[in-house]
Amino acid sequence: MKLKKVISALLVMTMTASLFAGCGSKTEDAPAATEDTSTEAAQTEEEAPAADAEEEPAQVEEQVLKVAAFEGGYGADMWSEVAAAFEASHPGVTVELTIDKKLEDVISPSMKAGDYPDVVHLATGREAALTETLTKENALLPLTDVLEMTVPGEDVKVKDKIIPGFLDTLATNPYGDGVTYYAPMFYSPCGLFYNAGLLKEKGWEVPTTWEEMWALGDTAAAEGIALFTYPTTGYFDAFTYAALASAGGSDFFNKCMTYEDGIWESADATKVFELVAELAKYTESTTVANANNDNFTKNQQLILDNKAIFCPNGTWLPGEMAEAPRADGFEWGFMAIPAVNAGGSGCSFCWFEQMWIPAAAENQDMAKEFVAYMYSDEAAQIFAKSTAIQPIAGVSDYLEGDNKMFYSIYDNGATAVMGGFAATAPVEGVNMLDTLCGTVNSIVSGDKTVAEWQAAVEEASDKLRAAME
Amino acid sequence: MKKGKARSVFIGVCVAPAVILFIIFMLIPTFNVFKMSLYKWGGYSNNKEFVGLNNFKILIEDMNFFRSFQNTVLLITCVTIVTMALSLIFAAILSREKIKGQNFYRIIFYIPNILSVVVISAIFSAIYDPNNGLLNSIIGIFRGSDKPPILWLGDQKLVIYSLVIAMIWQAIGYYMVMYMASMASVPESLYESANLEGAGRIQQFFSITLPLIWTNVRTTLTFFVISSINLSFLFVKALTSGGPDGATEVFLSYMYKQAYTNSSYGYGMAIGVVVFLFSFGLSAIVNLATKREPLEF
Repeated sequence: MKLKKVISALLVMTMTASLFAGCGSKTEDAPAATEDTSTEAAQTEEEAPAADAEEEPAQVEEQVLKVAAFEGGYGADMWSEVAAAFEASHPGVTVELTIDKKLEDVISPSMKAGDYPDVVHLATGREAALTETLTKENALLPLTDVLEMTVPGEDVKVKDKIIPGFLDTLATNPYGDGVTYYAPMFYSPCGLFYNAGLLKEKGWEVPTTWEEMWALGDTAAAEGIALFTYPTTGYFDAFTYAALASAGGSDFFNKCMTYEDGIWESADATKVFELVAELAKYTESTTVANANNDNFTKNQQLILDNKAIFCPNGTWLPGEMAEAPRADGFEWGFMAIPAVNAGGSGCSFCWFEQMWIPAAAENQDMAKEFVAYMYSDEAAQIFAKSTAIQPIAGVSDYLEGDNKMFYSIYDNGATAVMGGFAATAPVEGVNMLDTLCGTVNSIVSGDKTVAEWQAAVEEASDKLRAAME
Repeated sequence: MKKGKARSVFIGVCVAPAVILFIIFMLIPTFNVFKMSLYKWGGYSNNKEFVGLNNFKILIEDMNFFRSFQNTVLLITCVTIVTMALSLIFAAILSREKIKGQNFYRIIFYIPNILSVVVISAIFSAIYDPNNGLLNSIIGIFRGSDKPPILWLGDQKLVIYSLVIAMIWQAIGYYMVMYMASMASVPESLYESANLEGAGRIQQFFSITLPLIWTNVRTTLTFFVISSINLSFLFVKALTSGGPDGATEVFLSYMYKQAYTNSSYGYGMAIGVVVFLFSFGLSAIVNLATKREPLEF
């Protein structure tokens, strides 16, 4: 009897102990990890002057640089290659790469626990909005001194290598105060894609103004082809930005992006709202039903099937639809958004991905070195092989075929528009992009009027202005 | 006395693992949700600002939240009523009637429940496709194919019902199996005597089956409330992304949008508190309203 009791007590204890085994090992790990960090930090401090003094540090010390990169349409291989090249040129540095299509989900749990990557390559405008959240929380490191650094292995400063204009936008200086927090990485012009083969076959001219566009819409409608479709309303950000800049110039565009009072109800903004409303009338009738994350390729397929002519998108579209079946004689065409004012210039929004350093990064000096290295010719060439083009003069010359045509859009008279909405403190319940772009679905389906849309955007803008610092 | 003490120590040790797990994974997180709803916080940094009930003040003026509230209530009501009715009918037929291939039907009805919601969403995306979807093709036979297609996922007045249909399709099998299990335990003798006294099948269902499985039905009502709230998020995420223009936004999808996309974690948690209280309250009300003397058999 007694033995039985002892045995059962033992069993229970084993169970309880095994339950805590998981927790136990973690607590044991923790001090070790802290030790690591402290030694790492110490190393960094020692290393820092050496790195500044250029060339190889006197003595080789082991360092681990944690790099987290979003795996976009360009694939993951180029990152491993760049990391290897960085390690080769920086003895003693080991780059620990995290690459994922859902990078936020992979890195944010440990970030919440205080374990931050040193460098993150993740663009703004994603659903999980990690970049924006850190921006709004002031948790990024200013990159001002990175711009002043010399590109490793070369004798040019980082800021002199980046194409002019890329560092003066709200997409690199999110607070609008002239301080750079995001390093501009791969850029991609956005505009209207169409089937050049179809237009040639039918003998239709590529429209250069909105009047010609509407005329083409009427002609095409007679043949059962719609003028316009869009993958999801999310793509209207680039479209609207370009149209705004075309309607009112770049100053006006910046005022819109910084929520100036009444700007969305001004005459220039009204032109853009009405333009989209007119375009809505020419939109393919089933577009709205497929304008969600699950079905957006069906809308893109409309272009390949000659059921619609134009579709706003970025240069990744041909790659995304590479495997899809297409009409005979299909050929990608790409153009900027036609001028909103008669005689004005067309515009194309230039979308780019960003790289940033969290303020809580442990290895900040090496992180800065890594960001600077991104602009070296060596790194740029590795990226360019995967058609990821950085804003470095001359890099787009590496491209061939369709891609060359896409990147030449700015050489053909279109003005480049860059930026995005200024960062504000988070405003509960107000989402500018949802209000500005998401409503397009309601305009197309006729559930909301342009006046309601415009008023809602202005209201959101008012609330966000109050939250700007 | 000594034995009694040893016994309670033993019991204490036995339940300790479960209690500790419950505290760590249920109580503390729930408490944290309530706590975070009082802060303005983006989710990452250390700048948490205590704002008291301000998040809730914003919430009662947030029309988008009310729209998601309405959608959720509509989903809970429609899905519960239709699913319960259908699965009760199917369960009664399958357990009371002699049909060929009973087990086959049982499996067929249960299959949707095994599928992941993402798969179901993909199936329904194909069914609802405006141009060559199953639904529009069938309807096209009757109304002529030259008419403009019905946009099941594009029409803001229709789209929420498209979700309802998908959710019902998914849920029927699960509840049917639950009802069948309790119907099986109703003694056959009751039906025999009802037969002798000339009660029809429908009368038998309402006078014998339903009252005797009532406790089970009550339990499933709570399940309906909880699972509608949870599953609607998955369906919305996979099928419509809350669109078009927020027409299918539900509680949890709106909470996700606010907590993450809009960087207002504290506000998201305030929505979480409302969802928590709402589902708790609704379950309590449903439970009270359906309280009956349990019947013995």
